[in-house]
Amino acid sequence: MDKEQVKDMLEILTGAVGVSGDEREPAEITAGYLEPYVTRLHRDSFGNVIGFKEGTGGPGAPSLLVAAHIDEIGAMVSRLEKGFVRFSAVGGLDPRTLLGQAVEIHGRRRCRGVIGATPPHLLTEKERKKELRIEDLFIDLGMDPEGVEAQIRVGDYISLVRPLLTMAGGNIASGKALDNRAGVVAMIVCAAELVDIRHFCRIYFVGTAQEEVGVRGAIVASYGLSPDLAVAIDVTHGLSPGVAEEDGFGLGEGPVVGVGPNFHPRLVERVRTVAREYCLPYQVEPVPGPASTDSRAIQVSREGIPGILLSIPLRYMHSTVETLNLDDVLLTGRLLAGFARSIDTDLVEGLTCI
Amino acid sequence: MENLLKLLTEAFGPSGEESEVAALIEQKIRGAVDHLYTDKLGNLVAVRQGPSPRIVISAHMDEIGVIITHIDDQGFARLAPVGGVLPHQLVGQRVRLKQGRVGVVYHEKIKNLKELDWPRLYLDLGAEKQVEEIRIGDLAVLEQPFVNAGGRFLAKAMDNRAGCAVLIEALRRLPREIPQELCFVFSVQEEVGLRGARTAAYHLKPDFGLAVDVTRVGDTPKAPLMAVALGKGAAIKVKDSSVITHPIVRQLMIDTAEQHNIPYQLEILERGGTDAGVIHLSREGVPTGALSIPCRYVHTPSEMVDPADLKAAVELLKKLCTSNWPV
Repeated sequence: MDKEQVKDMLEILTGAVGVSGDEREPAEITAGYLEPYVTRLHRDSFGNVIGFKEGTGGPGAPSLLVAAHIDEIGAMVSRLEKGFVRFSAVGGLDPRTLLGQAVEIHGRRRCRGVIGATPPHLLTEKERKKELRIEDLFIDLGMDPEGVEAQIRVGDYISLVRPLLTMAGGNIASGKALDNRAGVVAMIVCAAELVDIRHFCRIYFVGTAQEEVGVRGAIVASYGLSPDLAVAIDVTHGLSPGVAEEDGFGLGEGPVVGVGPNFHPRLVERVRTVAREYCLPYQVEPVPGPASTDSRAIQVSREGIPGILLSIPLRYMHSTVETLNLDDVLLTGRLLAGFARSIDTDLVEGLTCI
Repeated sequence: MENLLKLLTEAFGPSGEESEVAALIEQKIRGAVDHLYTDKLGNLVAVRQGPSPRIVISAHMDEIGVIITHIDDQGFARLAPVGGVLPHQLVGQRVRLKQGRVGVVYHEKIKNLKELDWPRLYLDLGAEKQVEEIRIGDLAVLEQPFVNAGGRFLAKAMDNRAGCAVLIEALRRLPREIPQELCFVFSVQEEVGLRGARTAAYHLKPDFGLAVDVTRVGDTPKAPLMAVALGKGAAIKVKDSSVITHPIVRQLMIDTAEQHNIPYQLEILERGGTDAGVIHLSREGVPTGALSIPCRYVHTPSEMVDPADLKAAVELLKKLCTSNWPV
């Protein structure tokens, strides 16, 4: 796969709406992209989309779970107020990024709306300095109260609207839901790479649901599939002014390998070896606490599932201008493919040797 | 319903010591179910046998309370919360130990109310010294009688004896033939982290889950924005901190309420969770919903519910028990 294909997939996937709890659109698109590379595809009752590919080792070979969440942050209608719509966050929505934002409410029909702000002329000095809270914001659908009540009810999903923008001659993409559609694309790149690479292990490619509200899809998927090893693919913070050097990673400098208690040291060592072998650049991120990714759920599923985390550096996380370098997506997929290829029975059995 | 609710709310059942409540519930439903047992953690499980699918319907029977952490030479006890109790709710409030002894909570001398925190609170049980019948680790519940206040019900532990009462009433009115297997779980330790429902759901391996619990409202002076109000019907949960209701279950609940003209409201609870939070993540995932009873002043000594909402909740639960759940 090349950068152009990555961009096209990102454009379509970020254009899809998949706020946590209703991931049907991105699930369907992800399934479509995975289809040529897998032998079985299904969605579980929770909303996870699961593609399976047998390896050269057959049914007895170790199994690898690749998890990339397909959901995105958004909101839900919490109250109708004289034709305006109050809302509740689904996932870590940042009120600072919402002013001036276009949205869509998925009511009886899709309605376009905006989140406006009180004009600066009408604000007092004190009000201007006040911290912005979600409960202060509302959506304007431009309809009269009767129209709103006919279309919209409490619990309807709200998604953010932002078409993908490419910059810097097509190397950089910016938009909404790149957290974690970029991870999903890296997973698809990996699946595509593995057409020409023989791999011993069996692989489950899983687009997980409801990560943004508490890594929930990964909890049930890892229990259901019971793999031997796991890789979560997600995004991490990219460097920009205001982000400390130790908290951010360079765009275009390759995938970021997580290091810390959620990740198995031997598997971390293995993925670093693979990167060196294939001459792929990578960065290292210490994750001392519980990882805020699917990794933390998968690790403690059933009797324990050792795993690693690969992250794609991304600026302005949880905004609608999440920004990343397309090379990083491609490189993450390739590193993952190399890691999958390297998995054999010795590696898995070695993990439990005293 | 009123008598049942009085009986249940006045019982002693802080998280971890729910057996008194379990015994009361057992009396009320024995004979109406095929199997009745208490599991290892103390959950009371009542099964109405039927064909597949199997639905777990859970209401927690524990309540918030306090635990004695220290007793000094003068007999004053120090306390820690069991569940989400705020220290200022307890000042001047009577609490009761399991063996029946009642005392009052008060605070040390403080300069302003901001200093009011657990280390500054103590429990005076009328003892002048350390006595044998009061020990570290004893649990206490709020001491507050059930009251009919102008037609609405006020009591401690309405969260979630109201839910228990709804399960009991629905259970007793079920027809002889039901189209699926129903496992009613009166769960323990919800208030300290949804613990009982987690293990019960793991054991029962249900196809669907439903939690019945109280929810907050937005209909009091300057309340936080919330679309749920007392007296406007049973609440069908869409989202809280612990769960996003499975679309299939949510739609079934809405359709059932509309079909039978049962008043309902859609609920989004900004902070808080229910047993649904752990049931839906059990094993490979269990499509789960939650039926809520609107309640004012949740986690205070006087929680208020409206009998019309209870009636709607019983009616909706009963209809859900006999509806065809889409497998």
